Amino acid sequence: MPDLALKTLVHDKLRFFITVSGVAFAVTLGFVQVGLFMGLMDNATVTIRKMDADIWVTSRNTPNIDFAHAFPESYVQRVRAVPGVADADNLIVWFMNMNLPSGAQEGVEVYALEDFSKWNIPWNVSEGNLDDLRRGNFVFLDDSGIRRFGPFQLGEYREILGRKLRIIGRTQEAESFTTTPMVFMDYELAQALNPDELQNRTTYMVVRLLPGADMDAVKAEIAHLLPYNDIYTRDAWAAQSKRYWVESTGLGLNMYLTVFLGCLVGIVVVAQTLYSSTMEHLREFGTVKAIGGSNADIYSILIKQASIAAVVGFILGAAMAYAMRPAIASINLKLIITPELAVAVFIGSIVMCLASALVSFRKVASIDPALVFRG
Amino acid sequence: MKERNNGAVLDAREIRKRFTEGKQTVDVLHGVDLSLHRGEIVALEGPSGSGKTTLLSILGCILTPTSGDITIEGDLVDIARPASLPAVRKRSIGFVFQQFNLFPALTALENVEYALNIKGIKGREATEEATRVLDDVGLGERASFLPRDLSGGQKQRVAIARALAGRSPILLADEPTANLDSQMGRQILDLFRDLAVKEDRALLIVTHDPKVRAICDRVIEIQDGRLAA
Repeated sequence: MPDLALKTLVHDKLRFFITVSGVAFAVTLGFVQVGLFMGLMDNATVTIRKMDADIWVTSRNTPNIDFAHAFPESYVQRVRAVPGVADADNLIVWFMNMNLPSGAQEGVEVYALEDFSKWNIPWNVSEGNLDDLRRGNFVFLDDSGIRRFGPFQLGEYREILGRKLRIIGRTQEAESFTTTPMVFMDYELAQALNPDELQNRTTYMVVRLLPGADMDAVKAEIAHLLPYNDIYTRDAWAAQSKRYWVESTGLGLNMYLTVFLGCLVGIVVVAQTLYSSTMEHLREFGTVKAIGGSNADIYSILIKQASIAAVVGFILGAAMAYAMRPAIASINLKLIITPELAVAVFIGSIVMCLASALVSFRKVASIDPALVFRG
Repeated sequence: MKERNNGAVLDAREIRKRFTEGKQTVDVLHGVDLSLHRGEIVALEGPSGSGKTTLLSILGCILTPTSGDITIEGDLVDIARPASLPAVRKRSIGFVFQQFNLFPALTALENVEYALNIKGIKGREATEEATRVLDDVGLGERASFLPRDLSGGQKQRVAIARALAGRSPILLADEPTANLDSQMGRQILDLFRDLAVKEDRALLIVTHDPKVRAICDRVIEIQDGRLAA
């Protein structure tokens, strides 16, 4: 059967290009906005997800992992005594200032532990031995800091809160939600750098359970022993950290608004081009009716054209989004495109285009086939 | 519904049409009677505004009359139910339009095939039938051409082939030579007549063209919505 829908759609190449561009624009915007959002959310929880800890103990009402409050480090002894706990250690997460060779200062997010290897953090070490951190005024720096701190080499020194620290290792992918690079140092060194706030204090306790231990029972027991702390499972703590950024900063609203506007632009462009195409082909649709075709025959043409525009626009939009990933990565942002996101955007494209086609349906329904007799 | 069968393939009785726009009503047709028989070629002539296009639209089941009966191949058309009319058009009527009304994105062959598909004839059968009628109108060599690559006369031949395809017993043509030069118009008329007679179709041609008279068995004149006696 001659494919009137496809052939008519591609017959006017400029119009087809405009229609597909509208869809591709909306698709790219959807991928980039949601992908960046997911990248930021990934940063917001990356250490929670990567760390080999089943339970996190925080001070009361800590909003997210980056905004920590200190509490007595001795509490860890109580936690270690809870039945079902295999390991429990103190973890300090704290913002500090680093002096740069240029004389400027930049913020870094310090992660401090006694034994990093035990907790699988940092998870991507490209140079250096984590065990060496225990031996003195040493740090591991993340490569994401290069844009802010400039290039660095192992063996160089950087000053944090007035103390010279030697760089003995390099990590990758350790970047916070605020894109502040992470620095890894020994637990006692972090306390020594900021004794006013961190002497004998920690900001988190990370807990690993014994195999087969009852998570709820352990949580309940820790909560009983530490009534002024909050206790989270890994997933709950990650969700809490995400929720803070989405709800408290308007970031979620911003993303939804941009995606909505992208879809709106896509719908307007596609609806407008499909409608003007319908108007331009009124005589042909009238001919379809005159030779015995029904409204349903013409609706199927419009639906097919909208679906083709959606599929081609999706492919182009997705390709553009993928092509933008290296450029986005070069400014230390992550564009995460998951299969679930791709499926959601594809379905969204189809729905958007079909909704656009509906605008033309009323016009088609009102076509008088007698127009074919008009000169 | 079976009604009457006087041998006519199309029989219209007491056709009236009134158009209403706001408070204004215009009576365009005043009780028209008209019959078409197989193998017969009839010209419908009349000045502008006489009602001939309205009558053609009603006979083609594109427009419903305000009153009157239409019988096609012995079956009374249910004019009270406009949704039933597309099926009548599919089954029994082929159209040729003044403006050709070909689909510009489809080749000559596909234009004919598409009309067959609408009539429910699909696949190889449609392709063979489309090829046959294009050969009949002398366009077999240009079956793969798009309308933009065809001359006016060739486009009208495709339109005739489309009307002939599917063996509809009634062919209705609206000014088929109006957009053609006189030599091409003559060729098209001869072709149309030959094919209609050969295939035993009834052909009604609405025209202003005096040349059309020469090929017709009958000429009907319409004036102010009434057929001339």
